[in-house]
Amino acid sequence: MKMHSVPTQRQSAAILAATGLILTFYLWLFLHAESQLSVAILIAVCVVAFFGARRVGVAQVVEQASKQRPGLARLWALGGALILIAAFYESHFILLMICAVLLYTTACLGLTMQFGFSGVANFAGAAFFGIGSYATAVLSTHTGTPHILIIIASGLIAALIGSMLITPVLRTRGHYAALVTIAFGILFKTFIEVNDVLGGPQGLQVPGMSLFGYEFNNGFSVFGVEISFYVSYALLSLGICAGVFVIVKALEHSWVGLAMDVVRTDETAAATFGLHIARWKVVAFTLGNFFIGVAGSVYGMITAFIAPNNFTFADSLLMLSIVILGGLGNAVGLIPAALIVLVLPEKLQFIQEYRFLLYAALVIAILRFHPDGLLPRKTRIFFSRETSR
Amino acid sequence: MSILSQYIFNGLMLGVMYAMVAVGFTLFFGVLDVIKFSHGDTLMVGAFAGLAASIGVIQLGIGSSTIQLIAIIVCALCVTGLLGAVIAKFLILPLRHSPPLNTLLATLMLGTVLREAVRLFYPDGSNPKPFPALLPTSSIEIGSFSLRVDNMILLVAGVMAIAGVHFLITRTRLGMVIRAVAQDSETARIMGINFEAIVLITFALGSGMAALAGVMNGLYYNEINFNIGLLMGVIGFSAAILGGLGNIYGAILGGFLFAALQVLGSAALPALITDIPSAYKDVFAFAVVIILMAWKPTGLIAEKSSERV
Amino acid sequence: MSSSTIVQVRDLTMRFGGLTALDRLNMDIREGEVLGLLGPNGSGKTTFFNVLTGLYRASEGSILYDGQEVLGMTPQLVYRSGVARTFQRSRLSLPLTVFDNIAIGDYQHMQHGLIFNLLRRKAFRAEYMGYVDKVVALLNIFSPSLVDRLFEPVGTFSMIDRRRIEVCRALMSHPRLLLLDEPSAGMTHDETHTLMSDIMNVRSKLPKLSVVLIEHEMNVIERITDRCVVLNYGRKIAEGSYAEITADPNVQTAYLGEEAA
Repeated sequence: MKMHSVPTQRQSAAILAATGLILTFYLWLFLHAESQLSVAILIAVCVVAFFGARRVGVAQVVEQASKQRPGLARLWALGGALILIAAFYESHFILLMICAVLLYTTACLGLTMQFGFSGVANFAGAAFFGIGSYATAVLSTHTGTPHILIIIASGLIAALIGSMLITPVLRTRGHYAALVTIAFGILFKTFIEVNDVLGGPQGLQVPGMSLFGYEFNNGFSVFGVEISFYVSYALLSLGICAGVFVIVKALEHSWVGLAMDVVRTDETAAATFGLHIARWKVVAFTLGNFFIGVAGSVYGMITAFIAPNNFTFADSLLMLSIVILGGLGNAVGLIPAALIVLVLPEKLQFIQEYRFLLYAALVIAILRFHPDGLLPRKTRIFFSRETSR
Repeated sequence: MSILSQYIFNGLMLGVMYAMVAVGFTLFFGVLDVIKFSHGDTLMVGAFAGLAASIGVIQLGIGSSTIQLIAIIVCALCVTGLLGAVIAKFLILPLRHSPPLNTLLATLMLGTVLREAVRLFYPDGSNPKPFPALLPTSSIEIGSFSLRVDNMILLVAGVMAIAGVHFLITRTRLGMVIRAVAQDSETARIMGINFEAIVLITFALGSGMAALAGVMNGLYYNEINFNIGLLMGVIGFSAAILGGLGNIYGAILGGFLFAALQVLGSAALPALITDIPSAYKDVFAFAVVIILMAWKPTGLIAEKSSERV
Repeated sequence: MSSSTIVQVRDLTMRFGGLTALDRLNMDIREGEVLGLLGPNGSGKTTFFNVLTGLYRASEGSILYDGQEVLGMTPQLVYRSGVARTFQRSRLSLPLTVFDNIAIGDYQHMQHGLIFNLLRRKAFRAEYMGYVDKVVALLNIFSPSLVDRLFEPVGTFSMIDRRRIEVCRALMSHPRLLLLDEPSAGMTHDETHTLMSDIMNVRSKLPKLSVVLIEHEMNVIERITDRCVVLNYGRKIAEGSYAEITADPNVQTAYLGEEAA
């Protein structure tokens, strides 16, 4: 450790500002990059910076700073995202990628709560994502419900189906629950294909989001400049992602998170101290699926068209790759992991075809050699600015 | 009447194949307490290895079906046996001290790697490949049934394979050593058993069984594709769980039970709901499995005992 | 000091397939006493704890705790009745902090609803600070050096420290019945002495606390137990004060073999 003293409030603010600006700039470059060469250079820079920052102690300094001023750290993250969205105001494709990263992160926050906190393996993440999308498609096409309520309802439907699935097998050991979600993940496509209301194998159209009469799909203009309609969706996705992030973090730093962690690490001891194992697993699974369903709902509206093929078992495994890569249980690690898993193949076109292969191999490597992932989860400090005396 | 016999026979064939895969799962769980989820995809690799062998044999100008068959079997067994041992040595064994879900996850991903590797790197891998029909295609008439000889051979071969493994495990010295390691690996080690060697042998054995099942699958349907491993793996896993993980009889029972459920589903469901996709037989079968698991959490025959408090 | 019986064990039998771990065990636990539970390895002591805390389901017999039948209760219910324990093989959540591991001992009094933890953050913080005080108070008795490392993962501590943390966790819930399963395993004589003094210290503040102690260290037994029960092959073979049971020939045979008697 190179730092011998904890940074002051002022220093922390400066450190966080610098970090925020640097990361935002780097991401702007990365999202902007077109040629394979520039992408390769940026990746190399990132790798060097990542390992170098650890060595030199910069990473620890930033961690300390964000512990000192957690609210400010989050504001910078939010600000950076807003700057990026504004910077790409006319690029449909990049905004779409940003939306995907934000929404997949939201879904993976749900998976983190299930797997990272409570130890409930969910191999059907894409299926619950799909339930959210399909529910939204059906509800917005066939009913006049306001879209905000539809988003919430889609989440609730995903949560409900999830709890029906998991409750029968909670009395059993971990691998049984895994089997149930694996089977569901594989067979979800089959469920969808039979109903015409759900569009069958051809899929369904999803009406765009409208909020208080404003149709997101229309786009808007500011001072005569045409703004991509994806900006509205990006802002919505950002809001949802940020909201879910805050909720998950709050739960982690509470008795809920503590109970879930104890259930995950030692069920026998947990039971001996009064924790109802099944209850906590159901809570985690249900709440997690709610988040996943909400993310799927918005995703459906953005992509405007969904089909069973979007929500396969391989996609569920891809979501799990994000969770493992980022550091199991670490909400903050999800963003860089989502960027790597979702954006990198778009940038390095030649790996698109090999996506599933590569990321599966990456997860194997991580589990084998560095199970904590890129950003290992920290120990729980309930309230960081308060010391415990 | 022949429809019924068709269903029954189909069920028996499926049951044998599922039982073979399930026995593998149960062996791995018994010996190392691990769920090796790439098992189904190992089956697929075995089938493709066999296919490659048969193509190779034809390239060499040998037209004999028998030789092709032998080549297929030998190649499939060797490739998957080796694959199983390598997976055990470099992935499963090193991970055995981490949480069990890690191994499940890692092997699930490994299955994806195998699947994608075949899809991407085997020539025209993403399309179904025809599997040579190497068994005699004549039929035997018994009363009003007509039984195809090739299917009979497959069925008998499968049953013999299962019986062979059962014999190996229960009546030979090697089998006894495997059972010793499964029961109590620490004591087994103290008694001088080479733990790692036994683990590798067990994994090779289980994978070889899967390869046979894969070849049988290819011969039965005359076709293989890179995707069969996933569903086979999940079915084999469910069958092993149904029968009680760690219990070979249970795995066999589970395999046949699952096949029966599938056949029942494919027979009964179209009568209830018209135009239902055939894949719904899988949904039906899994639904019943889940209900059975809820009823008997440790399997129809009990799972091997768990940890010390 | 009148001591009423709070636990009555009658004909308790526990069979694991062909093995009978508890064989018609009969014993009592009195309020406020420190009861030593002794016997050679495999005599059923830990099994008894596991049955009492609801982790195993007994084959036959009954355990009455405050007049209520305990057999058939879930571990969670047993805990709520005021029974806390430590484990022979230390069972802590290694990636979690010292605070996490000890605080969870008082789970039944925590407000663990979603609404409270998400929306009433001020109230939660107040409750949390209260728990910090309680945990620190306990640690100051058993392991003052740990107080500075309250938020470090338990996995980084020595086995001795972890055992102390486990005792703190059990005490955290203000139990009426404390079951200690070889808490001094792996400790030196001095460390054991200190641990037992600390436990007795806490107990002096909780006169109604009954302690059942599985222990092999005879000095400890002699020093702190009021009474002892000796098991062998799942059966009680002797009962009484330390002096009485050490003089008992059955006990000597059980531990030392036939020739010793």
